[in-house]
Amino acid sequence: MKKLFLDIYYVWVKELKRIFKDEATLILFFLVPFVYPLLYTSIYTNEVVREVKVVAVDDSRSSLAREFVRKVDATADVEIIGYATDMEEAEEAMRRKDAYGILYIPEDFSRKLHTQQQTQVMVYADMSSILFYKNMLLSATEVSLDMGTDIRINTVGYGTQAQDKSTAQAVANEWVTLYNPRSGFAGFLIPAVLVLIIQQTLLLGISTIIGTHNDKKTHTIASRLRIGKNVNAFRFTVGKALAYVLIYMFISVWIFRVVPYLFRLPQMGDPVTIGVFIFPFLLAATFFSMTLSYFCSQREFSMLLFVFTGVIFLFLSGVSWPWDAIPAPLKGIAYIIPSTPGIHGFIKINTMGATFQDVMPEFITLWIHAGVYCLTATLMYLWWIKNMAKKIGVVRTSQPLAL
Amino acid sequence: MKVRAGIRLVFSRECKRIPSSKVCIWGIVIAPILSMIILLGMMRNGLPQQIPIAVVDYDNSSTSRTLIRQLDAFPKTNVKFKSLSFREARIKMEKMEIFAILTIPKDFAREAVSGDRPKLVYYTNNSFLISGSLLFQDLKIISTLAAASVGLQTGVAKGYTEGQLMPIVRPISVEAHPLGNPWLNYSVYLNNMFLPGILQLIVMIFTISGFGAEVKSGNGRKLLRMSGSSIFRTIAGKLLPYTILYTIIALLMTSVLYHYNGFPLNSGFLPMFFGYFLLIIASQGFGLILLAAFKNYRFSVSIACLVCMIAFSLSGFSFPGQAMHPSLYALSFILPLKHFFLIYVDQALNGISIGYSMYHYAALLGFLFLSVFFFGRIRKFLERNVYES
Repeated sequence: MKKLFLDIYYVWVKELKRIFKDEATLILFFLVPFVYPLLYTSIYTNEVVREVKVVAVDDSRSSLAREFVRKVDATADVEIIGYATDMEEAEEAMRRKDAYGILYIPEDFSRKLHTQQQTQVMVYADMSSILFYKNMLLSATEVSLDMGTDIRINTVGYGTQAQDKSTAQAVANEWVTLYNPRSGFAGFLIPAVLVLIIQQTLLLGISTIIGTHNDKKTHTIASRLRIGKNVNAFRFTVGKALAYVLIYMFISVWIFRVVPYLFRLPQMGDPVTIGVFIFPFLLAATFFSMTLSYFCSQREFSMLLFVFTGVIFLFLSGVSWPWDAIPAPLKGIAYIIPSTPGIHGFIKINTMGATFQDVMPEFITLWIHAGVYCLTATLMYLWWIKNMAKKIGVVRTSQPLAL
Repeated sequence: MKVRAGIRLVFSRECKRIPSSKVCIWGIVIAPILSMIILLGMMRNGLPQQIPIAVVDYDNSSTSRTLIRQLDAFPKTNVKFKSLSFREARIKMEKMEIFAILTIPKDFAREAVSGDRPKLVYYTNNSFLISGSLLFQDLKIISTLAAASVGLQTGVAKGYTEGQLMPIVRPISVEAHPLGNPWLNYSVYLNNMFLPGILQLIVMIFTISGFGAEVKSGNGRKLLRMSGSSIFRTIAGKLLPYTILYTIIALLMTSVLYHYNGFPLNSGFLPMFFGYFLLIIASQGFGLILLAAFKNYRFSVSIACLVCMIAFSLSGFSFPGQAMHPSLYALSFILPLKHFFLIYVDQALNGISIGYSMYHYAALLGFLFLSVFFFGRIRKFLERNVYES
């Protein structure tokens, strides 16, 4: 038993020294997790889009039409940059990117309202961002309901003030945005990105270490055999993993607590719960990365092989595309990647203030990941060392896998 | 003749190197295809369907049940729970089993008719912004419909005909025309840019690794000599096989996006094809510039990765550039992907005259021309032929 801990300790110290000696691993384990969240969050720091530029075309030229345009301009989401004489001129403004939408008021707008017919306004939106469309539609709809109410009261309102009110709107409604009250982009995307940064930098860093061993043909040094303590492959894998996990415990404090605080992102979770939850995630992500790292045959290949997976893992986690709308086979793939339960759990605790019981399924999944990937990492290590030994002709029988 | 021979020698050598490298096959061929299958497969419905929600119905009248049935009939919404307390529903929300809660107050039906203005309150989980806003649309419509149907009932009671009533219930209606993407299809919106974004990443890192690997294996000088010591011929011969390979991949992407998925392509094929082709060339130029700037294989690749991953956000197709900090907005124009995005919006989505996009085509070409100024440094890098001292 004492030997077990001593073995793990030896490997752990060796690996830590190795990490601090190489500039590449220092960049991937420290600099990137430090800088990247800041860079990324600052892009979304404004959170919401305001004052989308819209040009108005008023064929009605009536006071009601002008009132409509003025009220749309007054909303926070849309800014009317001016009137165009006709649609052709308005379209030209859009082509020149002076405006991102057109508000068209037809010639019969005022006449129809006065003769109690339903009238229409048209909104043409540039679809380069769906947020432009959303802003224009919501503002125009809001104003149309608002003005419509006044008009309706004028038409049928003849009762008391209370009756007028119910004529205005028989059923009221209210929208409450939970957990991300400003409906901001950062509050929605960044928590997932933070979790992914942890997993992907681990993947890149550990792969770089293995790639370097391959380059320098130092795999015998990298292996358990050189440590001289007769360490078996399992203890060796665990010892190395604990070195990475230790570093990432410190990184996690920065990424999961300080960064959301700095940018005032929703942060409802209990720090202890987050800590307890993140620990198996770090283990799972580490063993996952170690498993894949043995495919990295050169120092620089980590990036060529794995960087693009970040985009795919982000989508598979079901943050932007709703989890329930993901086809079942892809869901299956998504759930064997530690970032998926990691992101789900972190969002639940951090953004939605869930308790530990609520994230139990994710917590257990992560422990299973940790266990399974620990085993695969050990097997991959044995495969790697055997392959390498064959390549350079050093034949050393690997020791039995004993705990 | 000698010029041709120089390029040809490097070119044919590179053509043999690519298929024999596992990393190239994985990174250049398999990675984009895999991304395409996963991303397009995931969003094959265009809009998310059947997002689960809960309704907390304190009224439990025939009116409220009709309301729930109507809501359930919307394709986007799936009323998964109907008989929970609010507390239970909220716990379900925290477990991510549902993404919105609609509460119908007690005596809803009675109060609506008697003019007491009951209130429908809906809660959406906006830590999932897309689900949240999609459900908001359905819930808003159903609430407006509820108001309208009550309005109709009272109106009919007052003796108006139905033809007279619609203008009274909603005097001004808004007709929306989302230009270019009338189905508001999220797959159009995301995949049209995510796939080129992945392409940009791949092109950049493999351009750098092409030269980096030569120096690493000590072949920098040999490569220069093969092309008669002309850095121009070296670079042309070295990069051309990749340009051809990337163009084939771009053709695959365009055919899958525009043909098989029928995504909008209002300008016709050529403007977008040139867009893709210039994106490839611009990214190759960008990669050369990064390599020349740092003269370190590994570090240049790291910076390229950083730039390309940031580009997904910075080019502004998820969150518009105009809403970012002005300095970040300005910075986004040094990315090839940003110019590609603006070309895509004008050409594929809006289908306006190609003249309006000329500046961006020129900018993409500019990345290549700019890289020419760095050729001298790349020559030095190859000549020095030293891998990480």
